[in-house]
Amino acid sequence: MSDQESTAGVNGGRRAFLGCLGGAVAATASALLPDPGRAALPASPAAPAGDAAGKHQWAFGVDATKCIGCLRCVEACKAENEVALDAHHFRTWVERYVYVEGVDEPRIDSQSDPVNIAASGSEQHYRFANRYQEEKVEKAFFVPKLCNHCTHPACVQVCPTGATFKTADGVVLIDHTYCIGCQYCVQACPYGARFFDVENRVTEKCTWCYHRITRGLLPACVEVCPVGARVFGDRNDKQSPISRFLAENRVEVLKPETGNAPNVFYVGIDKDVR
Amino acid sequence: MHPDFTAAPYIGYVYPNETVFPWGVLIVVYPYLTGLVAGAFTVSSLYQVFGLERLRPVAHFALLTSLCCMIFVPTPLLLHLGHPERAFNAVFTPHWTSAMAMFGYFAGFYVLLLMVETWFVFRPHIVHEAQQRAGPLGWFYRLLSLGSYDLSAEALRIDAKWILTLAIIGIPAAHGLHGYVGFLFGSLKSREWWSSDLMPVIFLFSAIISGVSLLTVLYVLSCRLRRIPVDADCVKGLGYTVWGFLMFTLLLEGVEFGSLVYKGREGIDMILLFVRTRLIIPFFVLQIGVGAVTPILILSYLFWRGTAGRKLVAGVTLSALLILLNVIMMRFNVVIGGQEISKTGVGLLSYPWVFLGKEGVFAAASVLVAPMLLLLMMVRLFPPWHESEPPRAL
Amino acid sequence: MPKHVRRLILVLLGFGVLALTVRHFVVDRSFYRYGHYRADALAEIARDQPKFRGTAYCQSCHGAEYDAWAHSPHNRADGGGIVKCEVCHGPGAGRDPGHDYIHAATGPVHPQNLHLAVPTDTRALCSVCHEQIVGRPAQQRQIVIGDHAGAQQCSLCHDVHAPSRLKGAIAVASLAGSAAAGQRKSAACIACHGPAGVSAAGLLGPTLAGQNRAYLAAALAAYKSGARKNPIMLGVASSLSSTDIEDVASWFSSQKCAVVPGGAEQLAAARKAGAAMCANCHGANGVPRSDAWPSLLGQSGDYLKGALRSYASADRSHIVMSTLARGLDDAAIERVAAWYSTAACKRGREDE
Repeated sequence: MSDQESTAGVNGGRRAFLGCLGGAVAATASALLPDPGRAALPASPAAPAGDAAGKHQWAFGVDATKCIGCLRCVEACKAENEVALDAHHFRTWVERYVYVEGVDEPRIDSQSDPVNIAASGSEQHYRFANRYQEEKVEKAFFVPKLCNHCTHPACVQVCPTGATFKTADGVVLIDHTYCIGCQYCVQACPYGARFFDVENRVTEKCTWCYHRITRGLLPACVEVCPVGARVFGDRNDKQSPISRFLAENRVEVLKPETGNAPNVFYVGIDKDVR
Repeated sequence: MHPDFTAAPYIGYVYPNETVFPWGVLIVVYPYLTGLVAGAFTVSSLYQVFGLERLRPVAHFALLTSLCCMIFVPTPLLLHLGHPERAFNAVFTPHWTSAMAMFGYFAGFYVLLLMVETWFVFRPHIVHEAQQRAGPLGWFYRLLSLGSYDLSAEALRIDAKWILTLAIIGIPAAHGLHGYVGFLFGSLKSREWWSSDLMPVIFLFSAIISGVSLLTVLYVLSCRLRRIPVDADCVKGLGYTVWGFLMFTLLLEGVEFGSLVYKGREGIDMILLFVRTRLIIPFFVLQIGVGAVTPILILSYLFWRGTAGRKLVAGVTLSALLILLNVIMMRFNVVIGGQEISKTGVGLLSYPWVFLGKEGVFAAASVLVAPMLLLLMMVRLFPPWHESEPPRAL
Repeated sequence: MPKHVRRLILVLLGFGVLALTVRHFVVDRSFYRYGHYRADALAEIARDQPKFRGTAYCQSCHGAEYDAWAHSPHNRADGGGIVKCEVCHGPGAGRDPGHDYIHAATGPVHPQNLHLAVPTDTRALCSVCHEQIVGRPAQQRQIVIGDHAGAQQCSLCHDVHAPSRLKGAIAVASLAGSAAAGQRKSAACIACHGPAGVSAAGLLGPTLAGQNRAYLAAALAAYKSGARKNPIMLGVASSLSSTDIEDVASWFSSQKCAVVPGGAEQLAAARKAGAAMCANCHGANGVPRSDAWPSLLGQSGDYLKGALRSYASADRSHIVMSTLARGLDDAAIERVAAWYSTAACKRGREDE
């Protein structure tokens, strides 16, 4: 399957003229022409990805000391994976932990918090509200969250049909044509990473942008993060960003007591991070 | 708000994806139905296998009740599934690590078992009607008879053997059918409210009391409708059964809750807040107070006093109704309550009640009523009443 | 075995055979190949088209913007951070459901007929990363929007592709020019600008002492060419050659002023005076960040007010000052002018 990309001359004036005449015709015609000088989209992998057994061992890292809570990752993921545009279905999200002076427990908020929804103006854009300015804040930080693609995924264990599964290269995926939508996996995930897609009536979750990583690209959230809070790579490659991240940092995982053995490694989280 | 989902309000912090409840009242009704199946079958087996003669008047009626409920058991699941047309994926390629995959096989096996046992039990009636009836009903009976009108002593003896065998196999089958539901909840690590080794046992025992109670209520109702006196001895047998199982159920639930509180794992503060506030009415008042303690007191009093006759029937029937409330509240408090406690351990959601639509209260209520309507029809096709027959020589 | 039992068993077996047959035809061939799942699903999932294309993709047509970006703080892994094109412009092959980008009518088509997205509200966009909110680590450059930008858009002052490049920041060529020669040539300036370039109340011209050299040279050149309109200065500047201009600029910029403390207290005081926005370019004590911009130190309040008003009324035009001045009401102009006029001038920058 080759990737057909539309093309046009660089000259805007000529384009406008063509556009006036019959943009649709031009676009169709130009869609069939090869694309001179444009960086080519890597082709989809020729062999079925299952043959990649042992070739890659994907893993993800999060440096919560760097995250600025800009939520570009959340919006990028929604754009890249066509996730429902509301504040209740996320493949990835960011939590803010704020420790106010004199209170032991942190105040935690995320994208489904009504105050944050109001700050962004709609459920289709995501921002953290500028809160707590009047309070004496001792400590505050952001923690990005996503599916942990566990080594012993509880969600895969409970799926009755085999619609969700772990690939040989370490990614937990969902077969949307096979899922019956019972949502048992949604219940089983201790991290709240899964959700029900009401439009397609199957469950969904982060796939580490499998369609990108199999082309040598980065997941969308990693691609757009401006501060490098998200790290992705192949653990089989000792020079990959994730291998270096793991070698150079003291890392931890979320809820290790579940025995799921997550593959998203965190640096800079706190005892109260859920 | 997107029309296809309702977001739940919450306090504290919950994961963004948790604001939509995955399982609603349909999943409350489903274990309730399978519980009725298992409980009704237990009554039937108490007579068929354990020889409790007292329960003879309701034995075959129990079988029919079990079958009618069983037929509707997949309904709430199919209504809940995102893709019900793919439901058989779980049967064709069952993922054996999943308790839910067990459903296809347990249910399939069990419904077959029920149908076959019912067939054997009602064979004399089927054969009789096949020979006598005309019209489409006649064809129905003739088909069921499989073309054999053999009611000889030898045939009936073999039939009785089959009935006994199926009844014996049916006990673990019924308990597996309902026990796996408890395991489905109890085996999850993600929800502290569900995660318990006792969950399958609790589900099973509360299933039994619900089935026995249903039978009590339906039996008394049917006697009223047929205008015949209620067999108080039978009702006493049902009462003893439900009394014993109820006390044990209450003990189990108490142990489970007690050990949850005692262990006090992370997240216990939110659970205790939930128990102290949200659960007062659904759990302490309805499930325990009205639904468990009251029937135990009533039944204990009745049996201690040696009450008989109409007073006994009234008391046991009242207790049965309360126990039916207890069990539906238990399912509700487990299924909905479990989801109201956030996986974060620091949040509490509020179940958004939906009335219309396939996941709504009306749909769930219809699923509960439908087996009763089917039963009304079934008792006409296969009359289970024994008053005119001589007692079985066993 | 009685007939009916035999037939029953046959029925059950028949059902079993039927079930297995159906299963055989329904279950996908690729199931169980790699595990308990449909192996073909892997290829299906991998076949989805990526929407984010990466910076190299943009570079192939937008070389100029790419170059500007590539040398900017938005392309610095250590320190600045890497803000790629699609972070602001949206995915090259994606959707814009919020409709907060204008879709250029012209320009190349990024696949599927989606035109290049140009963010309309830079203030909303840039503040997503740069607004000072609780929780943001200190190494992230953050501002309090109201203080820093008033009600203005970020793109007013900042080149969006190279944000450290500020508009109106003219390239400053290294200036030659002899201060001694300039002193001689500037005798005539004393009448309006005061001795040694320190103006006083009642004099026509602003203080020139300690003013930025490049700014002085640019101002004289602008008067000479008519870009800045002033009949007196037109006459003055016309008589100066370019060497004269350099000398004069050199002389005035070298004149001393009294020293004034700078630092955080000054910034806080400026903020209180409502001059926080001005401080971005002109410094909290009036010493600007760029040589090409005028120092406001010790400048007469009347002159400053006059200058702001002429920017607002388009008598003077400047890519940044025109819009900024229009956003100030009379009270704000008074306050800002009063603040800067009380700050004595200082040689050197506030961070030295």
